[in-house]
Parts: sequence; structure tokens; C-alpha cells
Amino acid sequence: METIQFIDLTVSSTIILFLVGFVGGMVSGFIGSGGAFVLTPAMMSMGVPAIVAVASNMAHKFPKALVGAYKRNKYGQVDIKLGVVMGIFAEIGVLIGKNIMVDIRAAFGPTGTNLYVSFVFVVVLAIVGSIVLKDGLMEKRGLGKSMDPSPKKLPALAQWVRRFQIPGTMIHFKSIDAKISFLILAPLGIATGMLAATIAVGGFIGVPAMMYFVGLPALTASATELVIAFVMGMGGSILYAMEGAVDIRLAMIILAGSLFGIQIGAIGTTYVKDYVVKFVMAAIMLMVLVSRFFYIPGYLSQLGRIAPIKESTINVLNGIGEGTLFFALVFGAVMILRALYTGIREHRITEVDATPLPALASRENFSRFLVASDGSDFSAAAVREAFGLAQKCASKVYVMSLVATGTEYGGLGQSILKQEITQAQTLLDDIQKDAVSLGLSCETLVINGQVVDHEIISQAERLHTDLIVMGRRGRRGLARMMLGHATANVIGKSHYNVLVVPRAAHIDGRHMVLATDGSRHADRAAITAGELAKKCRMPITVVSVVEADAQADLRSKAEQTVQRVVDYLKREKITVEGHVMLGRPDAKIIEVAQEKNADLIVVGSHGLTGLERILVGSTTERILNGTSTAVLVVKEG
Amino acid sequence: MNMIKSGVDRKKNALVTTLLLGMASATLYLLLFLYSESLTHVATLIRQGHKIYVVIPIGGALIFSFVHGAFTGRFWDLLGLKAKKQVG
Repeated sequence: METIQFIDLTVSSTIILFLVGFVGGMVSGFIGSGGAFVLTPAMMSMGVPAIVAVASNMAHKFPKALVGAYKRNKYGQVDIKLGVVMGIFAEIGVLIGKNIMVDIRAAFGPTGTNLYVSFVFVVVLAIVGSIVLKDGLMEKRGLGKSMDPSPKKLPALAQWVRRFQIPGTMIHFKSIDAKISFLILAPLGIATGMLAATIAVGGFIGVPAMMYFVGLPALTASATELVIAFVMGMGGSILYAMEGAVDIRLAMIILAGSLFGIQIGAIGTTYVKDYVVKFVMAAIMLMVLVSRFFYIPGYLSQLGRIAPIKESTINVLNGIGEGTLFFALVFGAVMILRALYTGIREHRITEVDATPLPALASRENFSRFLVASDGSDFSAAAVREAFGLAQKCASKVYVMSLVATGTEYGGLGQSILKQEITQAQTLLDDIQKDAVSLGLSCETLVINGQVVDHEIISQAERLHTDLIVMGRRGRRGLARMMLGHATANVIGKSHYNVLVVPRAAHIDGRHMVLATDGSRHADRAAITAGELAKKCRMPITVVSVVEADAQADLRSKAEQTVQRVVDYLKREKITVEGHVMLGRPDAKIIEVAQEKNADLIVVGSHGLTGLERILVGSTTERILNGTSTAVLVVKEG
Repeated sequence: MNMIKSGVDRKKNALVTTLLLGMASATLYLLLFLYSESLTHVATLIRQGHKIYVVIPIGGALIFSFVHGAFTGRFWDLLGLKAKKQVG
């Protein structure tokens, strides 16, 4: 076997590789389809042998797939079992594909593999590019069919697959709640792996296969493809690395650029219509196809399969090939950046017009609520109680959902970001319908960002809301066992009052327990509690707790504090009683809430530091974690 | 005023995290260039039968991807590049 040569890294080749990675990443993110069909030929055009180009491409992709699969699994979008089963078969496909490459290389030298890879590229891109172009044209004419199989009607192929029952080969998959024979999955997985080993784009087969053969929704198929991409990508990279074919320098420089590009591309899709994405995808694919096509006569001539072509003619053909590829890259980059620039500019103009400032009002006005929803049961409780409270206070409700940004958007098949945004919007549309049926004024927002609490606080500031309503444990709840990470951060980092609603809590207006320790923030809590009690006609029990071994003067001070708050609330014409209790503050407050059958506990909280635990205040946090009653945390403001 | 301050604080924290991740990423790439020849040599050693060195390209790919991925994700977010906001 001929020695595998790595190219020399010069300043110019490094810059070119970075830019190729950047554009490749941008294209990946935009069309959600690997981008390897841009990266592999681009590396080959720079003189990188085909086997090194494919191997290095795989090595830069599999860690991204791992991060993506982990994150998507947290959102419940991944069928791990299906991904692993398909991934194992794909691995077999990679092994076969890699051996074909190595054998071709042994028999015909690097020109042989270059020809083989180029040929597969031309065939695959011609097929996929034509299908995408046809889809795009149909959609533009309004005749397009949704890529997502209808949840009610399973594709005919998937129905047939599920009827294909061979005892001993059936595997149950949770995402579809059905059994499928691994004899069906094996050829699909192997084909995915073989294609990945040959041109580093397996998703062309994997995603449509899972949608139409297995019957997965597009989003689950794309997310599950990340598991396959990781399993086979890592296995494939190890196999190629064993041959010494992975040039880690190339892979990492491409990675540097591609990670910058992916998010631009993925975000770009949200500003254009679906058919525009398909046109760009088809145009790039067909241009890359043409560029590869020009290299084939040279390879055939070098292998002696056709009459010899003059060196100068081969150079001209290669030059045309390089020029076409360069044009495809520039075209892709310009189209995506243009779409993004125009989209963002138009969006900003409409956004400014769409958000008038509210009238000046006291922060105890309870006129604008912001509810964070992620579709989980935890946030469903928050939405339900926010609506109930909004009816009593005649408030406007904003419901937001956050779609997190990630690097997995280059991850194959379809653009996950766009699908996720659509899914989030569908969820919010249902919530909005509920709100309207209750006679509420409700607006919904799908926000894209990295840090959940940051985005929630930013929206609260932008919308001038006076209450944030959140579930106690959201999707990031695994990070903290009880109080959700995002909820704790919002309480800790914002100046907004936060209503934390446990899943089983119902605020019916029965009774309110107000905790006070005489501090400024407790006074603020008393004023807020009073305003809310008037709107909801709720009686209040004011509680101050001192340690059991506290000195007499502390108890007497607590009694004065309670009396002061009781007097204030009586002046506000609220039914109120007050108690001083001995014991641990959080335990006693929860105990009183249970005794009084209270449906709301109100506590004050202070300050702003990054350390959420200290900040939320240990008593407040223990109350939040220990009670199944809704808790209103009043911030000093 | 506090509210404005809280917004500034959050942006400052986000900037610091992004800068730290950016520095970590830059350090990794600096090492990649400094040890460029050694990495080529590693591939030669693997081809000569020292298969254990496979951990270097594979482990390297994982580390670079995690660090640089975390940096680029925050980088664009910090610059305000976000998906189109859907308002219903």
C-alpha cells in the first residue's frame, strides 16, 4: 500500500481550510445536511488524498454529534435504542465502505480512491440534488407536501415495515411504540454507514430511512440521526485512524471554522421560506457535482482506462473543477449571509413596531405576566396557574418558550433548529387558544438563545412585565434535584417577582401565608401580598418564625413585626391574622400553610449575586423545595 | 437603575465566560500548531503498527469540539445573532 501523505500546513493553506470549514459549516447549518459534500471535495482540491479527506471529515464530525445527541436526548427528541441499533449496523457499513476504499487504494493507488469517491459524489449528488430541487419547485408553487409524515397517517412504507413480523428478530422502539424487525434496519444502517465511509455524508440515507421506513417524525429522525452519526462516526474515525488516515490538524482547523459557521447557517433558515433553503441546497449540490465531474477524465486517464489526455488538458479541467467548487462555496456563503442580513433587518423593524410601551404603573399592579413554558408537565402547571391569576387580576399574559442554540445543527437531514422552533410555536399556539377561550389577552414568543434564565429576564425587561411565572422544575431540573436550575437563576439574578408553581399546586384564592422577618424585602413582600389579596379576595396569615432558643427580646421584636404588618393589612381592608412561631423558619412556614390549607406562600428575597443558592436565600429556597404550594418570591426591586 | 445594572451584570458575566472559553480554545489551537509536526509523526507511528496512538487524534477531536463548540455557541449569542423570534 502506498504511503498516505499529509499536506504541509502553511499560513495560506490554514486560512483556506478555516474558510472552507466556515462556509462548509454555514452550508451544513443552513441545509442541515452534513456539509461534508462541500468539505470533502474542497480538501481534495487542495491536494488532500481522498482517504485522508473522508477520514478527517469524519473525525471533525463525531464529537459534534455526541454533544448534539446528548442535548437532544434531554429534550426527549431522541430514540436512543433505535439510534444505537442503526449505529451498530452503520458501523458495519463503515467497515465495508472503508475496506472498499483501502482495497481500491491498494490496487489502483490514490488516483483509484479519488476516482471512486468522485464517482459516488457525482451519482449521490445528482440523485439527492434533483429530489431537493423538485421539492423546492413544488413548494414554491404551493404544491409541496410536508416532509413530516402526518402523525395520524403513517407512510405506506412504514405500515408495511410494521406488518413485517419475523419472530426472534423484532425489536420494540419506544418512540413509535411498535416493533420492527432488525432485518429491515440492517440494510438501512449498512447503507448509511457505507455512504458515510465513502463521502462522509450518511444522513442522506439515515434520516429519510427513519422517516419513511420507521415512521419517525422529522424532528425525532434528525435528532436520532445524531446518535447514529456519533456511533458510526466515532467507530469510523477509529478505523481510519488505525490506518493513519486521520489528519487531526486538518480536522481541527476545519472544525474551528465550521463551528463558527453552523450557527449562522442554522439561524439563517429561520429567516427564509423552506423552498429557499431547498433551492440553495440543490444549487450547491449540483455545482459541487459539476466540479467533481471535471476531475474524472483526469483520473481515468491516469489509471489508463481511457486514451491518455494531455497534462495541460487535465490541468485545465482540474482548474475548471476548482473554479466551480470555489464558486459554489462563495455562492452558498453569499446566499446565506444575504438571507440572514435581510431577514434580521426586516424582523427588527417589525419588532420595534410591534412592542409598544405599557402605561406607567406600580410594580404591584399585576398587569403583565411572563410565563416560561417548555412543554413539560412542570411548566404546564405554571401556565395553568398564571392564567387563573391573570383572570382574577385582569392581566395580559406573555407565554415564552426557549429553543436553545447548539452546534448540532450541522447534524444531518433537516435543519433541527427550524423544526424545533415550529414545534415550540405549535405548543404555544395551543396555549394561546386556551388563553383566548378563558377570555385572556395572550401573546406568545419563541426565543432562541443559549442561557435560559438570561433570556427570560431579558424578555421580562423588554415587555415590562411585573411577574414571572415558572414551574418548580423544568427540563434543566436534573441539574438540581428540586428547584429548577433556570427557576433558581431567575429568582437569584432578576429584580422581578417570581411565582414558582409546583406541578400539583392550584391557586384558588383560599388563603395566603405571608412570611416576614421585619426586613425591607419582607416589607416589600407584605405590600405585594396585600395588593394580590385585594384582587383575589384572599385572607392572609402573617407568620414570623424565631429559633426555639431565641432570647425574649427577639421574640418580642418578632411580635412587633407581625403586628406592624397585620395593622397595615387591616388598613387595606384585608382579613388577616398574625402568629409568631418557634422553630426552623422554613418548616414552620410550610406547616402553617398546610394547617390553613393555603394555596399561596409569599416570601421576600433580596439582592443580586451570581451564586443562586446564597442569593435565593437559604430559607426561601428550602420553602420552595419543601412545599407543594405555589410560592410568590417578592424581590426588593 | 437596578434593572439596568442587572442587565449590564448579566452581559458582563456572559462576556467573561465567552472570553475564558475563547482563551481555552485559542490555547488548544496554539498547541495544535506548535506540535503540528509531532502530530504528523503520530500518524506515521500508527501506520507502523503503534495503534495505541489512535487515542491522540480521537481524544483530540473530542476535546477540541467540546471547548471550541462551547465558545462559538456563546460567541454568536453574545453578538446578538439569534433565530427569528416567533410572535403569536
